[in-house]
Amino acid sequence: MQEKNPLSPHLQIYKWHISSLLSITHRIVGVVNIFIIIFICLWCLTLFFGQSNYQIIQSTLTTKFGKFLIISICWTFSFHILNEIRHLFWDAGFGFDLKTAKITGVSVLIGSLILTILFYLIGRNFF
Amino acid sequence: MAQFSLPQNSKIEVGQYFKDKTKSRNLKKVNVYRWDPSTGKNPRVDTFEVDMDNCGPKVLDILIKIKNDIDPSLTFRRSCAHGVCGSCAMNIDGINGLACIKSHSDINGDLNIYPLPHLKVVKDLIGDLTTLYKQYESIQPWLKVDQTGTEQTELRQSQKEREKLDGYYECILCACCSTSCPSYWWNGDKYLGPAVLLQAYRWINDSRDGDKKERLKKVADELKLYRCHTIMNCTNSCPKGLNPAKAIGSIKKMLATG
Repeated sequence: MQEKNPLSPHLQIYKWHISSLLSITHRIVGVVNIFIIIFICLWCLTLFFGQSNYQIIQSTLTTKFGKFLIISICWTFSFHILNEIRHLFWDAGFGFDLKTAKITGVSVLIGSLILTILFYLIGRNFF
Repeated sequence: MAQFSLPQNSKIEVGQYFKDKTKSRNLKKVNVYRWDPSTGKNPRVDTFEVDMDNCGPKVLDILIKIKNDIDPSLTFRRSCAHGVCGSCAMNIDGINGLACIKSHSDINGDLNIYPLPHLKVVKDLIGDLTTLYKQYESIQPWLKVDQTGTEQTELRQSQKEREKLDGYYECILCACCSTSCPSYWWNGDKYLGPAVLLQAYRWINDSRDGDKKERLKKVADELKLYRCHTIMNCTNSCPKGLNPAKAIGSIKKMLATG
């Protein structure tokens, strides 16, 4: 096909489904998690350079923004783990039905929120 | 890196507005993607007011009505008009489907019709599917047997073996699934796409075929097969209700379990 022919619109017009939305979220969250893990490792490394370095991050994480960050991290990890379980089932050949995929998708989303709340409560010594 | 926005010559402009002349009270606004290769201009979206009191039930009926009564230059593919040939595959209301079996009464508000996504447009609603057909050819969609033709015996298939093809042989290659797949949008030249992989699975799964191992080996490729990330847009869009995502999953499983 010649260069002058236009490309038909794609992302601009295509409707989102739950499955496609979760798929792209899974990807983004995966990349975010890599950065978070690196950050946590660096944080641990600062211990070698004395308590004061450790304290700087510690004190930023106890601010309101820091708490928001931690809760977000809880969500990204729980979402990624739950959706990865869904992927494992697909790899084993189950759950490809449109209806099943929709149900598992929604339950991953709800489950990740529940897990986040659970992590938060455990962190606050609620139980 | 994939380009997420449209190239400069593909940016969509506002097109003409065709006001209703029948004085009908039951009007539907239909927005249709237009591109004329002879003008050298960018594609545009024309809006047609269509009298729904005198129109058939399907989206294809609207398009035919526009072509007959309003603008004869509107170009689209169609043939059988009952979901068997796959010619009228297009993007209707944001989801790929066959215009001839999609009821317009299912769609509230304005009706948006675009060609199949991420294809080179030939004219108006016609996309260029050359790459897809080439990829289809590459999986050799025919029975390969050791017979020379002189044996004079039939290739028998039990009912159970035949049932394994259910849900795969029905594919009409309308390309709705492949052009709905974001992976296929970004890697369409290398990734085979759901339609072709479903066909590949159909031949791998055929008990009469003698080339199963070779077929599997050919398709086991980082780009050809594993660009599928189970986004499931394919299964969501298939107008025949088939499940390409499952077919691809089955190929992956076959390769993993040997």
